Amino acid sequence: MTSPIDPITFEVIQNGLSSIADEMALVIMRSAYSPVVRDSMDYSTALCDANGEVVAQGLTLAVQLGSFPDIMSLIVKEHGSTIMPGDVFIANDPYGSGGQHLPDIYIIKPLFVGSTLAGYATTMAHHSDVGGIAPGSVAIHARDIHQEGLRLPILKLYAAGEVNETLFKIIERNTRSPIQVLGDLRAQISSCQAGERGLAELVEKHGLGTLNVYFRALHDFAEKRMREEIMSMPDGVYNNLDHIDGVGDDPIQLDIAVRLEIKGSEILIDFEGTSPQVAAAINCPIPMVHSAAYCAIRCLAKGDIPNCEGYMRPISISAPKGSILNPLEPAACAARGVMGYRVFDAVMGALAQAMPESVIAGCEGGPILFSVGGSHEGRSFVLTEVMVGTWGARFGLDGEEGVSNPAANLSNQPIELIEAELPLRIQRYGLVPDSGGPGEYRGGLAFVREFEFLSDTAQFTVRSDRRRCPPYGVAGGETGSPSRNELIGRDGKARMIPTMPMQSFDQNSGDIVRTVSAGGGGYGKALQRSPMLVLEDVLDGKVTLEGARHDYGVVINDNEVDAKATLDLRSNMESLLQ
Amino acid sequence: MSAVKRHKIGVDIGGTFTDITLLLDDGTIFSHKLPSTPDDYSKGITEGVREILSVNNISADEIEGLIHATTVATNTILEYKGAHTSLVTTEGFRDVLEMRRLRIPVIYDLRYQKPKPLVPRRLRYEVAERMDSSGNIIRKFSEEDVEVLAKKLQKDGIEAVAICFLHAYANAEPEKQVAEILSRILGPDVYISRSSEVLPEIREYERTSTTVVNCYIGPIIAQYLKSLSDRLREIGLKCPIRIMHSAGGVMSINSAIHKPAHLVESGPAAGVIASAHIAKSVSYDKVISFDMGGTTAKAALIENGRPAKTGEYEVGAGINLSSKLVKGGGYPIKLPFIDVSEIGAGGGSIIAIDQEGRVSVGPASAGAMPGPVAYRQGGKEPTFTDALLTLGFINPEFLVGGEFELDAESAREALRTRIAQPLGKTLQDAAHGVLTLGVATMTRAIKAVSTYQGRDPREFTLVAFGGNGPVVAAEIARVLQIKNILIPPAAGVLSAAGLLFSDVEHEFVRTIFGSRKKMDVKTLGEIFLELEADAYRWVENEGYAVNDVRFRANADLRYSGQAYELTIPTDHKHPNIDKLYSGFNREHEKTYGHKSDTDPIDIINLKLVATIDINNNRNGSRLQVKGGYATSGERSVYFGEEFGEHTVPVLSRNELNINSRKGPFIIEEYDSTCVVPPYCKASLDPAGNILVELEEML
Repeated sequence: MTSPIDPITFEVIQNGLSSIADEMALVIMRSAYSPVVRDSMDYSTALCDANGEVVAQGLTLAVQLGSFPDIMSLIVKEHGSTIMPGDVFIANDPYGSGGQHLPDIYIIKPLFVGSTLAGYATTMAHHSDVGGIAPGSVAIHARDIHQEGLRLPILKLYAAGEVNETLFKIIERNTRSPIQVLGDLRAQISSCQAGERGLAELVEKHGLGTLNVYFRALHDFAEKRMREEIMSMPDGVYNNLDHIDGVGDDPIQLDIAVRLEIKGSEILIDFEGTSPQVAAAINCPIPMVHSAAYCAIRCLAKGDIPNCEGYMRPISISAPKGSILNPLEPAACAARGVMGYRVFDAVMGALAQAMPESVIAGCEGGPILFSVGGSHEGRSFVLTEVMVGTWGARFGLDGEEGVSNPAANLSNQPIELIEAELPLRIQRYGLVPDSGGPGEYRGGLAFVREFEFLSDTAQFTVRSDRRRCPPYGVAGGETGSPSRNELIGRDGKARMIPTMPMQSFDQNSGDIVRTVSAGGGGYGKALQRSPMLVLEDVLDGKVTLEGARHDYGVVINDNEVDAKATLDLRSNMESLLQ
Repeated sequence: MSAVKRHKIGVDIGGTFTDITLLLDDGTIFSHKLPSTPDDYSKGITEGVREILSVNNISADEIEGLIHATTVATNTILEYKGAHTSLVTTEGFRDVLEMRRLRIPVIYDLRYQKPKPLVPRRLRYEVAERMDSSGNIIRKFSEEDVEVLAKKLQKDGIEAVAICFLHAYANAEPEKQVAEILSRILGPDVYISRSSEVLPEIREYERTSTTVVNCYIGPIIAQYLKSLSDRLREIGLKCPIRIMHSAGGVMSINSAIHKPAHLVESGPAAGVIASAHIAKSVSYDKVISFDMGGTTAKAALIENGRPAKTGEYEVGAGINLSSKLVKGGGYPIKLPFIDVSEIGAGGGSIIAIDQEGRVSVGPASAGAMPGPVAYRQGGKEPTFTDALLTLGFINPEFLVGGEFELDAESAREALRTRIAQPLGKTLQDAAHGVLTLGVATMTRAIKAVSTYQGRDPREFTLVAFGGNGPVVAAEIARVLQIKNILIPPAAGVLSAAGLLFSDVEHEFVRTIFGSRKKMDVKTLGEIFLELEADAYRWVENEGYAVNDVRFRANADLRYSGQAYELTIPTDHKHPNIDKLYSGFNREHEKTYGHKSDTDPIDIINLKLVATIDINNNRNGSRLQVKGGYATSGERSVYFGEEFGEHTVPVLSRNELNINSRKGPFIIEEYDSTCVVPPYCKASLDPAGNILVELEEML
């Protein structure tokens, strides 16, 4: 670092910034109303400089850490000259407003020192319902965005401190859960105010001029660190193809094609060859594509890189217009999250070719989104569940199970709270034996969650994936088990439903939906796995006796490894493989 | 003839030192520090108690009570040395303990490994039973199944069993019945706890985790406390022995053995209780306690003499920033805790520069061994203490009143070659930079309990203690624009002193959310009556008079749909729902900056805190610390570019008086050092507290 940057002041300011972003995140978490925000933590907070560039971000969802640049550049470009102290912006529209999908509502507050713009406090939260054809506003079967709910371009929710009552009333009338939505909006506004107080303190301490110098230094530093990381990666062009199962009863598999080039200190990612947009809600507007690709690369960068926009400079990302990763208006996109996770996987898979020992095998594929609504005893209810839970294996390490997808950092919702608040009963929540991708290091186990409907009427939608194309293994590791959704009637009969059904389902009291995630991919050859580790898994019921034989060639009798039988079985299996 | 029992003893054990305090009936406190004996802490404690009694010529039967803060509960978990524990739970949910809440405390780290469950999957058993959220039994367990299970547990050599059924907070009967069957077959040597007793609150994972922690450490705590009381009896102590719990009250040995999960933050709570006691004695309503020792800095908020509480803590999560954003790294315990935020910056924190030229202070620590470079125990990496010494903030020649010599030259050399030269700074400026950075880190601990909770630190007085608290307090106050600092007597052993002022306290909780009963004043009153009855039973069991108990009632409320409650005080004899609602709206606005006067509000829990004051005879008495340490002279201290270098007088506490003395100067004591920089003045109040005042600055 060159003068006039003082390393001590640099650290002090960076520390101050992340403490502000964390405080902003905390305000939302503790005072938000809807479970998807307060328990699943599907939201983000950040502090931006006067150019709208992120200088610090709260530690929430990794895959959303790139979700502010697009909307911020639009705000700066289109509203920069008319911004007043006391303004608060709101937006959710992915077309022309930098949004992601309609449930993600941005609240952004410009911060002033006197009459000088000093920065922005920004928040984004997944709201429980913004209208549209199905409760929860994430229906896959929406054909275009007009079926998905209320679209808000970049508007002023407060203009120079004056509240826009009209806008509040419009929002209130266009959601199935007005109390939750308005409560969460209030939490977001408060969070921005916390950001405002925090920045004012920093300005008071250091002066705005100095602060701006250090903001630039922070971006430059992050860029420099990222370039060094990329320099240490092997140059080359790495192509990878990953898939989405496709929508409806008779799905057509969709391609995510990635060409990743590491060249000196830069990475170029192009999604040429990716499938065209579809008439269902899984099209992914490009902000999340950026975000997910940055996230995958950050996971491979070692050390501490500040969460500011500078680190993105050496990475360029493009996707063909009109593809599922860069759709054109009015493509529906409410359930686009799955695409973001697949972008993460596709980029990770490309990087696996370059540096297998640093990557992770396929995880569960991102959240299974399950929305249910209906009425019971004259009251309506909505529940959105965002279910994650398992990692692929890594060099030297089994996949973690009972963790959030690494691109997210989501929580599960307490079963007892769900049952106390809603006419639902969770029948089962736990790990599925033999579901982790076999390997020298085993993929994490899949999880199962069963919902029984207790209400007079209920309607649900589900979005999942990774049934036809399960999570990949690395370095000879096998794929994890495929995902499943089943509907179980009161007669006890189960029938499979698609990963992404183009419909919502009407249910009666006593019906059960069983969702089973995919298992994590394995790392290295399964026949190389230490028999003692297989035994541990068998004792814990994570691998069955048959699984131990079939997947790992390990014979276990009376809770002990039968060394001779194992040796024989493994050499048989080896020769079959050759 | 037996002696009159009138003196008290406090015992605080840390990884390195055991601090013992003796409070005489005239209010005088003596302190004693000796090395801890980690193989069996009760050995060191007993030795220390014997020494402090004999030095002061006091007989063991003159002691009316001994109060102990212990790290044994925490260490048992951190070192995975707990009992061979099993979990018995509802069919379909054996993995709740392992799935946790999914979130992890880091992002972008593909090598992350989460903490392993305290009960492995093979020892988690399901029972075919089910209740709904109102506690109605949907499926009754079969006694035969449980008997078969008991035999299996017996065969596995299980030492402790945690029972946690879904919705057991609403109906304890099934857990009770299963516990009875298990205990009948497994016998009295197997430690059993059930979730409906340990934590009758909604949220299955947190309740399961808390119950499992309780079981995991139960047999170890039982063994330790038994050994401690045996040894203390051997040296003639006949008084009750009480243990401080994480909420700052004390419990009997019996209760502690039964509910050891309450003990994990026993030590940090003691310092906060001491601060609260001092705050009350000088009538300060708004205080932040700040405790800085060798490895961490801790902060807590105290309003109207009462420390802020929190309902959840993760043991083993490393640094607790009082922020749920970074949760998932440890084992959650959902019980009352004093809300202490902790950050990895202490005297032993290592100063490092990475390849990029970025400087960091901690969280890596040189610990007690090898410790700072100046300790001459083989430490090579400069620490925060080495920087303080270089600046002249602490005595460059010795510690603890001369008992421990320091090697200032090596400290300066390490700082010069490893930090100052790479940064291209003078030694003094580099050392001051380190101070600034350490202070910036530590202010986060204070922000976590103040601004993060909607409190403005500028309205608070900082009570600084611990070996290093008074050294850096002024710098911290300056950054946070706090105007007043109080340095209590015995600042270096304040936690052990705090034990002497604790009350016997226990919280009784009833979750009412989810029950389909309509909540009116009558129902609330009835529930409080039940809690009161529970409390009276407890008072009798603990061996106190029913007349001595005082009650404080609270309710946890939230807007319908929120996940986190705020705790609002109420009157348990005459609960008033409107007042609760308006109190909640006010507190919500204060804490989060917004409220709604129209949204529905849910009452989640009712809580009754029963307190027995065991300090009646101490009221009004004034603290004096014996073994005072007198110093004189002067030394050169560098206060940074802005204030420059000064030759400052080094004084003892007694040289201060009620009239303010302008800084800079230093007050040196046996167990700590108070730095009064040029921008401060300080005086001594009648109770012997040093009051440091920051001057108005631009």
